[in-house]
Amino acid sequence: MSQTTTSDRDGIASLLPEFNYRRLGLYLVIMLFVAFFVSPIWTGLVTSFKPPGQATQPLLPPGPELFTLDSWSRALDNLGRGFVNSFAMAVPATLVNVLLASTAAYGLTLVDWRRQMLVVLLFVFGIFIPYQAILVPLDNFWTNIFPLAKGLAIGNVTVIPANQRWGTLAELAITHVAYGIPICFLLFRSYYKTISKELIEAAKVDGASVTRIYTRIVLPLSTPMIGVVLIYQFTQIWNEFLFSLTLIGSSADQAATITLILSGIGADLSGTNFPLRMAAAFLAALPTIIIYVLFAEQFAEGLSAG
Amino acid sequence: MASVTLDNVTKAYGDEIAVEDMNLEIRDGEFLTLVGPSGCGKSTTMETIAGLTQPTEGSVYIGGRDVTDLPPKDRGIAMVFQNIALFPHMDVYDNISFGLRLRKYDQEEIEKRVDRAAEIVQLGGMMDRMPEEMSGGQRQRVAIARAIVRQPDVFLMDEPLANLDAELRIHMRTQLQRLHRELDTTIIYVTHDQAQAMTMSDRVAVIDNGHLQQVDPPLTCYNAPDNLFVASFIGSPAMNFFHGAVTDDGFGSEFMNLGFDPEEIGATPGKDATLGIRPEDVYLKRDREEATVPSETIKAHVDVLEPMGDEVFTYLLLEEDVETSAEGRGEGQLLLSLDPQTDIEEGQKVEVVFDRHEAHLFDSASEEAIAHSLA
Amino acid sequence: MESSQDAVAGAGTGEHAVEDRRARLRRFWKSDFVRSAPYWGIPLLLMGLAVYGGIIWNILISLTDYQGFLERPDYGNLDLEMYRQALSDSAVHLTARNTFVLLVAFTSVSLVLGLFLAVLLDRDIREKSKVQTIYLLPMALSFVVTAQFWLWMYNYNDGLVNTVIGLFGLGPYNWIGNPSLVLGAVIFALIWQFSGYTMVVFLAGLQSISNDQFEAARVDGASIFKTYWRVIIPQLKSSSVSAAVVLMIFALKIFTFLYAMFGTYRPPKGTDVLATLMVREAFQLQKWAYSASIATILLAMSLLVIAPYLYYQYREGAL
Repeated sequence: MSQTTTSDRDGIASLLPEFNYRRLGLYLVIMLFVAFFVSPIWTGLVTSFKPPGQATQPLLPPGPELFTLDSWSRALDNLGRGFVNSFAMAVPATLVNVLLASTAAYGLTLVDWRRQMLVVLLFVFGIFIPYQAILVPLDNFWTNIFPLAKGLAIGNVTVIPANQRWGTLAELAITHVAYGIPICFLLFRSYYKTISKELIEAAKVDGASVTRIYTRIVLPLSTPMIGVVLIYQFTQIWNEFLFSLTLIGSSADQAATITLILSGIGADLSGTNFPLRMAAAFLAALPTIIIYVLFAEQFAEGLSAG
Repeated sequence: MASVTLDNVTKAYGDEIAVEDMNLEIRDGEFLTLVGPSGCGKSTTMETIAGLTQPTEGSVYIGGRDVTDLPPKDRGIAMVFQNIALFPHMDVYDNISFGLRLRKYDQEEIEKRVDRAAEIVQLGGMMDRMPEEMSGGQRQRVAIARAIVRQPDVFLMDEPLANLDAELRIHMRTQLQRLHRELDTTIIYVTHDQAQAMTMSDRVAVIDNGHLQQVDPPLTCYNAPDNLFVASFIGSPAMNFFHGAVTDDGFGSEFMNLGFDPEEIGATPGKDATLGIRPEDVYLKRDREEATVPSETIKAHVDVLEPMGDEVFTYLLLEEDVETSAEGRGEGQLLLSLDPQTDIEEGQKVEVVFDRHEAHLFDSASEEAIAHSLA
Repeated sequence: MESSQDAVAGAGTGEHAVEDRRARLRRFWKSDFVRSAPYWGIPLLLMGLAVYGGIIWNILISLTDYQGFLERPDYGNLDLEMYRQALSDSAVHLTARNTFVLLVAFTSVSLVLGLFLAVLLDRDIREKSKVQTIYLLPMALSFVVTAQFWLWMYNYNDGLVNTVIGLFGLGPYNWIGNPSLVLGAVIFALIWQFSGYTMVVFLAGLQSISNDQFEAARVDGASIFKTYWRVIIPQLKSSSVSAAVVLMIFALKIFTFLYAMFGTYRPPKGTDVLATLMVREAFQLQKWAYSASIATILLAMSLLVIAPYLYYQYREGAL
């Protein structure tokens, strides 16, 4: 019994220094920044439930007499096509990206050959290119050289039928794959560098070929990084805007992606419809927010490694 | 089972030469250890034999077949790595059978071989464990089983015990010797630990600076080291050295003189020479009859005592004013090993002798051995 | 050397040389280089064509006088005319200045704020991971989305910014409409979005510093502030450099946020940057060659940042 009391007293005593002014100040500053980071999102959220024109008092939610879901349902109508388009483009693009980046990182990290650093540099350099530097050729390529949206025929045989919507989305997906490879490559490479060289040598001595080592050893060991890259790259492609604008152009286009539609929503000559815009912004961000909330750790890892 | 031959093998990484012009013949069924300090080229030599790296020049033969251009898998070798290198996503059975499955053996044969290998390394009943659920020693046994299951002609072991704790290392040492006896396969073993080299091998290949220093049975390396490097590297605690010169009637140095006929042992008077005496060949004067051919008495005083349990390492200073050097023994210091019962204390004056029959003389310039007995 | 000796010798050794060459070829085909080629070759081809092919093509276009919808670029007549135009264009001067201001202010404040947040969270705190998730949340959102939020934040009548500063008796200001305020407003919004990112980079750097150093400093009697300032922060050099490079490259190419905020190719004068100018010249005005030359200038500016960084990383063996 006496032991319990002493340890109780110790317990309280050890808690006491926790509750000092410095600690209190620390939590206050932390909460202040929480408010800083959340407030633009919060004010957007409460505004989206207010009728247009009556969106005052930006921090307060609407009272029951003003509360409306009109903006959300209008936004959903507007964005519906964008959801389909963005998913149809981003999902395959992300998957191909992961595949190509992981094979490239494997061949340039775990298989050893002379001067491979030169090729590695080419990939890494690709991460930092401002896309403006390839935008004009990119547009020229898909409009004049290889207009996939107008179909593809070899001789008289139609290989790919012309389809403005899906063809354009395919162009966009291929573009995302090509320019997404470098960053995904680096993510995989940083991970593969942690795989022990002896593990690969052991498989080699056991008789595994370059291909076998990849499929039987490296790929099964890559699962955590595959998750990180999938999350990171899907978010990137979903959020991307410049390529969409360049290849699709107008938010009225059948192939318009979600970010493209969002950029033009709720603005007309009479002014900006903020509740509609806010609702649309939340809808457009929904998949990435869900992914982020579920996989915040992987997302952070992708960011800090990249 | 096969012999392994290195024929003029050189391996350079850019300007860095890791191994130079190495000729080594490893006999069929032999347990040979490549030993040397880290960075001496022993691992490169092993990788060249395994085919994990290509020699810049020279050839490698396994069982008389030139394998220089063959990939590791076609060389009839199996390898155990320092970091054990088990595939972390496979259980014990899958790890051991990996190589056999790649080679498309039939299921029955695979199971038979895995069972046999598991039996040899005493891993029965652990087949579905994952590597992370096992202790270091168990993992090392899986790695060994993975190697023996392939029934290779040659086993390559690259510091396989380096990451185990001391007790387990000694246990595994005897296990490996038993394994060699049972399998009767050529084993090439790399280590920087001369104790492992001494205890397990049929022959030891001492390597320094990319060059082969001596290839001989362990006791030969110990008793008749070819040069100063081998003399200092093999044996623990290390040999005592005295730097001096050959005189007309023996060896002379600041702290120690020794009379003998230079001509008889082929030494040239006037040349710089180094005298080497192992700690166990030094005796207190009263035990001088234990030496086969005792030397004259040497006066000294006790500097430091290091009781090791079964013996006491006794560091002597041969003159009053000699300073103890910070890094091990310097000139004028002499280490001997005494029975723990000996009544001796630090600062005490003592007289010692050494066994001339076990004294080594080296040419200081070429570092080659001149004689292994100065009786 | 060997082969020349073989050539001098007779037919017998000639055969030997052929054999030798064959063996070498066989070895080459079985080498890891060839065997791994499909793994890195296909991605390299795709990425190489897109990135390096694109850059070369862009430079080529910038040397023509390609413009308009129907024409095709005429590669027969190449000159530096577009660069001459660009360098004397007052719009380029103005946007270059804005780009520079944005780059410096955005990068430095994001770094400092990120470091502050990292130090703030690098200790025993309740719900630490939740706080970190909130701080990083803006980074998960598209610029198109955050631009909408900030447009509303900066709204003259009902925006939160004017409401908050109104509490202190300031404002209201026309953040978007006033050319001397708009660049600052944009930078502030970008800092909001990116400081969570720099925080994560610094936190990763802080976590790689062993606890022993904190304890050693504490044993030496250093205060928490001194410990960070003298012991910890100097070790965050490589984290800072990496984060700074990423921020600067972003600042150079920023387009989406500005387009989405203002809904047009032409942001207000005070916040027009090279990146928006380039896109506008190309896709609004169809002045392809001219915009390609601006793009090349932009690329050159990025190279000034990237090349030393990659060289440093390469030398450190960090790539």
